[in-house]
Amino acid sequence: MPASIPVQIPATLRSECGGKSQLIVSAATVGECLQQLERDHPAVYRSVCDETGAVRRHIHLFVNNDLLSGENSFETPLEPGDTLFIMPAVSGG
Amino acid sequence: MAERLILCIGTKKGLFIAESTKTRRKFELRGPFRPGVGVYSALIDQRGAKPTIFASSCCPFFGMKILRSTDLGQTFKETKSAPAFPKDDGRALANIWSLEPGSGKRDLLCGVEPASLFRSNDGGNSWELVPGISNHEHARQWHPGNGGLCMHTIVREGNRVHLGISTGGHYLSEDGGKTFNASNNGVSAGFVPDPYPEFGQCVHKIATHPDAPGRLYMQNHGGWEDRPGIGVLRSDDHGHTWRSIAAGLPSDFGFPIVVHPHDPDTVYVVPLDPATRTCPDNRPAVWRSRNGGDKWQRLSKGFPKKESYFTILRDAMTIDHLKSPSLYFGTTTGQLWIGRESGDQWDCLFDSLPPINCVKVAVV
Repeated sequence: MPASIPVQIPATLRSECGGKSQLIVSAATVGECLQQLERDHPAVYRSVCDETGAVRRHIHLFVNNDLLSGENSFETPLEPGDTLFIMPAVSGG
Repeated sequence: MAERLILCIGTKKGLFIAESTKTRRKFELRGPFRPGVGVYSALIDQRGAKPTIFASSCCPFFGMKILRSTDLGQTFKETKSAPAFPKDDGRALANIWSLEPGSGKRDLLCGVEPASLFRSNDGGNSWELVPGISNHEHARQWHPGNGGLCMHTIVREGNRVHLGISTGGHYLSEDGGKTFNASNNGVSAGFVPDPYPEFGQCVHKIATHPDAPGRLYMQNHGGWEDRPGIGVLRSDDHGHTWRSIAAGLPSDFGFPIVVHPHDPDTVYVVPLDPATRTCPDNRPAVWRSRNGGDKWQRLSKGFPKKESYFTILRDAMTIDHLKSPSLYFGTTTGQLWIGRESGDQWDCLFDSLPPINCVKVAVV
């Protein structure tokens, strides 16, 4: 059963979704969440994933405080109360 | 409105516009547009009733965009889409290296990394892959150079299209861009055992002139002790064969090559030390030939005489089309120089910009 999941949008991407800091999607996994973003908010999706469907190199996705990594990260389940964070990776130094 | 001179300056930290009257005495700077995001290519498109400025905005975080201005660079907006590979292609856009007018009034051509060509027929709002080169049988055998695997040069010459790919070499279409063949006869490479491979050369830039059909100049990746003179080349047969014109230069390594707008025999290069990619002996100079590369003259009036480490990238030098044209180049240390009187006198216009990737100029 898909859960209603808030997706936190970083300030640098809000211009791609009408200035919203949060989008609500209905998804059971991270992959489903991204599919819904691709359908409903394509400009946000294109900024997060490249045309092969991979998350861009300098973008990190977190479910709550957990950084997603590895081949199976799109299969990570989402449950009511979870939040998906889209974060630009740290750069510079 | 009186004619103005517009400079587009693409930097590592956004796009700047500099504007002047035709006297070119004083330039006013505005920008950066898309601050913090690298701009590797720009185009001042003068085919329509009103000039349109295009620029690539290459964000390593959120991907690539095409910016468009219809008010001479006062404001920029994104086009409706940017080039993107088909989903099942397996390649992902890493950078946008060149923007050039296509054959139709609203057609644009765009060279990208990984080396591929895209075409738009609606002023940049939608894009399609050009399969004749992007899916060429050689494409998966090209290798990235230090700047990535980039299609950085697009030169249209009637129904011919010349492409410069680093490292792929020179590719030529003689059917308007439908099909392409590697055309590197005489173009050498210093980094593979075969000195004259069919393809895979590290071409840096190609330039042409409308008054000399078939004549092309190339800055190739030179600087090889074992293969001297391969860096600066000329073709007189539409790029089917090439010969060296590097004799007399202090180095055959460099990035840009520019042709005088009123004289196809006058050509400019910026020789660089191949190890440091900076001017030989740390003394900046542009070199000019007035006879198609047979003899070269050092131009340095106005430049620092020592302790200057200029690097000028492949798209960072250009020339305007006024009666007595001026050259312009930007350095990776953020200086923008003007070479007045066809390069006889040099002055620094701006000395603390971000690292400069590309410079384009037009009288509008």
